[in-house]
Amino acid sequence: MIDLSSWEAYFHDFGQFFNGFLFTLALSIGALIVAMLLGILFGSLSTSKNTFLRGFARIYVEFYQNTPLLVQFVIVFYGFPLISNYIIMPSIYWTGVLCVGLYHGAYIAEVIRSGIQSIPSGQMEAALSQGFSYLDTMRLIILPQAFRIILPPLINQVVNLIKNTSTVAIISGVDLMFVTKSWSALNSNYIPAFTGAAVLYFILCFPIARFGRKIEEANKKAYSL
Amino acid sequence: MKRKWKKIGILLALCLTCFAIATKVQAATTVADIKKRGVLNVGVKQDVPNFGYKNPETGKFSGIETDLAKMIADEMGVTVNYVPVTAQTRGPLLDNGQVDMDIATFTITDERKKLFNFTTPYYTDASGFLVNKSSKLTDVEDLNGKTIGVAQGSITENLIKEIGKEKHLSFHFVELGSYPELIISLLAHRIDAFSVDQSILSGYVSQKTEIMDYSFKTADYGVAIKKSNTELSDDVNKLILKWKKDGTLQKLYDKYHLKPSTSESNK
Repeated sequence: MIDLSSWEAYFHDFGQFFNGFLFTLALSIGALIVAMLLGILFGSLSTSKNTFLRGFARIYVEFYQNTPLLVQFVIVFYGFPLISNYIIMPSIYWTGVLCVGLYHGAYIAEVIRSGIQSIPSGQMEAALSQGFSYLDTMRLIILPQAFRIILPPLINQVVNLIKNTSTVAIISGVDLMFVTKSWSALNSNYIPAFTGAAVLYFILCFPIARFGRKIEEANKKAYSL
Repeated sequence: MKRKWKKIGILLALCLTCFAIATKVQAATTVADIKKRGVLNVGVKQDVPNFGYKNPETGKFSGIETDLAKMIADEMGVTVNYVPVTAQTRGPLLDNGQVDMDIATFTITDERKKLFNFTTPYYTDASGFLVNKSSKLTDVEDLNGKTIGVAQGSITENLIKEIGKEKHLSFHFVELGSYPELIISLLAHRIDAFSVDQSILSGYVSQKTEIMDYSFKTADYGVAIKKSNTELSDDVNKLILKWKKDGTLQKLYDKYHLKPSTSESNK
C-alpha cells in the first residue's frame, strides 16, 4: 500500500517542485508566443501564390516536423557554442523557448495552412467576382470560417507544447521534470515525485484541453439551423 | 451532475494507478527464484570504460564490473543478463525488481546503506575533476565561482560542497543524466569541470581534456542488492571476500590496468 512517510517527504520539499512548475509555466508561455508568431507567419506563407515563399515555408515545416526535438535541443545548446567558438551561448531558458517554439511553430503553421485551404476555393472565386478585394475576402469570408476549423487542432498543439517543454530537463533546465528526476534519485523516493509531476502537468493541460472541447462543441452548432 | 461523476472517475483511476505501482514494488526475488529463472539480471554501466562499457561496434560488455557479474552468475550456475543503468536509474530498477543487483560504480554511503544492502567493497577510488586543457585550471581553488558538472543521482555534489565550505570556495552545479552528456557539456564550455570518480574520468581523457592534479574523498564501490534480499546479499558478500583473499580481484585490476586508491576499509 501507499507509504505515507514517502508522501510526507514529498510535501515537505514541495517548494522545489513548485519552482520547477513555475519554470515549466514560464517556458511554456515563452515558447507558445514564439510558436504562434512563427505558425501564423509560415501558415500564411504556405497559402501564398508566390512559389518561393511557399517553398520557404515548406522547408521550415518539413525540417522541424521530421527531426526530433531532443536533437534540436542538443544542437542549439551544445552545438552552437562549439561551432561559433563559444560566442553563441544561449541560456537554458532561451534554448528551451527557441527549440520548443520553432518545433511547434511548424506544427501550428500546418494547422493554419490546412484550415485556410479547407475552405472551398469556390467561395474565394465567388467573393472576388462580387467585387471583394483579396484582403476583404480573407478577412470577411475565409478566415472566420477557417478559424473554427483551426481552433481544436491548435489547442491540441498548445497542450503538446506544454508537455514537450519537459525536454529541457535533458540540458539540466530546472523545470518540473528535472526536479522530479533529481529529487527522486537523491531521496530514492519515486512514486510521490512522479505522481506529483503527472498531477501538476495535468492541472496545466486539462483546462486547456477542456476549453478546446468546448469550442469544438460550439462549432458543431454554428452551422445547424 | 454527470460532469461531477466524470471527475470523480478520473481521480479514482489516478489513485488506482498509484496503488498498482506501489504494490508491484513490494515483490521480492529469492536466490531460488533466480536459479529457477536461470538468469541473473545485473545492473551495469554501459558508458564507463574499464568498469562497465558496452563496445558500440561489437555490442559486448567489458570491464571489471561486468566480469564480476559474470563470475557471480557462474558461481550460482545461471547465465548473466546485463541491464544498462545510470546513476539515476540503478536505484529504482533495484527497488522494482528489474535487476537483482547493481554492480555499477555504486559508492557505499551511510544513507544508501539504509536503502540497499551493500557487499564489502570490490574497488576503492578517489574523485577528481576533468577540465579543458585550454582553461588552465590546475587546482581546486581555480574552480571558485565556476560551474561544475556532476551526474544526476550521484553524491559528488555534496562532497564538493563540503570541500567548498572548508576552503571557503563557492561553486555552481549542473546535474546531467549521463557521462557522455557531461563530456559534451565540458567540450561546449557549458561547464568548467566535470567531477566524478577518477577511474571513470580516466576513460574520458582526450586531446582537449585532462584530469586535474587534485583528488578528494575516497569512495568504496560495493555490489548493491535490495534491502529485503539479505540471502542473496550474504551469498555475494562471501564470494567477494573469497575473491579478495585469493587474489582473483587483483587479477581483475591488472587485466584492466586499474590501481585502486587506498582507504581504511580496503585493508
